[in-house]
Amino acid sequence: MLNNLQATGGSKQGMKVKGTEGTVYTIDFYEKLWLLAHSTFIEGVRHRALWAIVVLSILLTMTNIFVAELFSWDLGKVSVEFGLSAIAFTGLLLIFFLGMKLLADDLEKQHIHMIMARPVKGWHYIVGKFFGFTFILLLASGIISIGTALSMQYLIWQFPAYIPPNFSWLTYLMAITCQLMLLLMVLAVSFLCYSFASQPFVALLLSVSSYLVGQNMELLRRVVRENAYAGVVAGQEWLVLALSWIFPNLSLFDKKYVAAYGLPFSGQEFFLLFLYCVSYCAIVLFFTALLFNRKELL
Amino acid sequence: MKCRVRVAGIVILSIFLFSAYFISYNALFIKKKEVASEAMDKAGGVLVSLPPTVLRFLAGEFKGLVADYLVLEAGAQMGTYVRRTVDGKYEVIDKELDWHEIHQLFVASQVLDPSFQQTYLLAQGSLPWEAGLVNETQKILQTAALNRPWDWQPLQLKGFNYYFFLKNFGEAGKIFLEAAKIPNAPSYLAILGARLALQGGETEAAIFLLQSMLQGKSEDDPGYEDIVQRLNALKGTLVLTKAAKQYENHYDHPPPSVSHLVTSGFLSKLPKNPYNVAYCIDTAGTVHFDKPNCRDAN
Repeated sequence: MLNNLQATGGSKQGMKVKGTEGTVYTIDFYEKLWLLAHSTFIEGVRHRALWAIVVLSILLTMTNIFVAELFSWDLGKVSVEFGLSAIAFTGLLLIFFLGMKLLADDLEKQHIHMIMARPVKGWHYIVGKFFGFTFILLLASGIISIGTALSMQYLIWQFPAYIPPNFSWLTYLMAITCQLMLLLMVLAVSFLCYSFASQPFVALLLSVSSYLVGQNMELLRRVVRENAYAGVVAGQEWLVLALSWIFPNLSLFDKKYVAAYGLPFSGQEFFLLFLYCVSYCAIVLFFTALLFNRKELL
Repeated sequence: MKCRVRVAGIVILSIFLFSAYFISYNALFIKKKEVASEAMDKAGGVLVSLPPTVLRFLAGEFKGLVADYLVLEAGAQMGTYVRRTVDGKYEVIDKELDWHEIHQLFVASQVLDPSFQQTYLLAQGSLPWEAGLVNETQKILQTAALNRPWDWQPLQLKGFNYYFFLKNFGEAGKIFLEAAKIPNAPSYLAILGARLALQGGETEAAIFLLQSMLQGKSEDDPGYEDIVQRLNALKGTLVLTKAAKQYENHYDHPPPSVSHLVTSGFLSKLPKNPYNVAYCIDTAGTVHFDKPNCRDAN
């Protein structure tokens, strides 16, 4: 795939490249991103870890029905929470173990030199890889979402009296989208950590820590504000406020509770979350590209 | 020139991205702040103490699942231990249940998911009956009622506990009436609530709540006529109770019958009882609309 990125010169529209059969053609910016994203996606799909994770998630989805039937009430809630948690769990495994590993392999096995030797800039590489992983996450989340939706439909069919009265498939779909946005933000932060960490393990550790901080931002704020025994941070709400602008506030995207009980979820909030996700990811990727350009690749 | 255009593009894009980030996150943060303080009130301040906070931190975005597990754990602790004897039969082993721990499991589950139906139903089925933890159960039911505005059962059970365990009929009546206002609540709750409220000396509160219940209903709704009848009976009771109080203040003893209130001039005429029986005043001066021979009973 990347062999298509043989450069022979530049032009206003894009880069002239020589194909594998010697044909010279021009690829523009979007094509470069697409090629990188596609190659990353193919690389991920070929990786055994992806399928191990997907099989695990399918098993989790299948157990969904059995787990829900362990309860006597609110079966719909249990099923929705279990399904959305399976998406979250699989996504996190994919990011921390597959995504970070593939990035680390690029450095350790020096695949990155093959890419960077071609007419590809640092930020092309970062954005292309990001989109590639996004496709992988979309694929995995899509498979699990279908499984969880089917198990939920089964429960609706079998136990209609135990489904929350306001359960809505639209809210359920919005919650899944929010879950995916959450994963994309974690992915962006992982890229940032990868761009400045000296060791892949350090990058992994930093990414997991960022995820934990982001997930508990609201809790941290509440503890600092309301718990007088919170030690040196007691009453230092400004500190948490500052942190919340730096770390992703992932708790905002956690809509499992809303979907499980069929609570109202406005389109306005969804749009704001979308805007927050897109802008945060773009800003983080911008800084990632800056840091990546300064990274010692040898 | 090209460089300037690129710089200008980057500047414009950066301004757009940072604006989008600031606007979306600021809006979401303010919204979250309001919701968080509301949820804090609903959870009865229990989140302030450290152990639940730690629990929430550890559970992260899998709060719902951990809550499910804790309820299953509580159920397992309350389960029966069965041992197989040498002759192939089974015997039940008496075990000491740690009710404090079981109660803590319910509380912890509710901290993570305050709306879960299984938590409050299992708590109600065990804690007040077997452990005598009535007040603790009332708190669990109150949290459930606040977080499940569509569900009348937590309030119904709370009212039952006031009636059965705490012998507080007035409070039980008020809570039954509150439960009856929830959509889809059975109409008998209103009747029961009004009766208990009357018994507990809460006639005016009962009238007010029944009137407010009728506001959202049409005459064709099931139970409408029953509520109107009970409302008129309570109104008649209130008129007679006020007149009886005036009579008692004047003569230093309660009236011997309701008709004395008319003959002595405290009332121009007796109110009509919609149940087609006579109102009765007992020796203590309490007016009844459903016990025409109340003095004989004394």
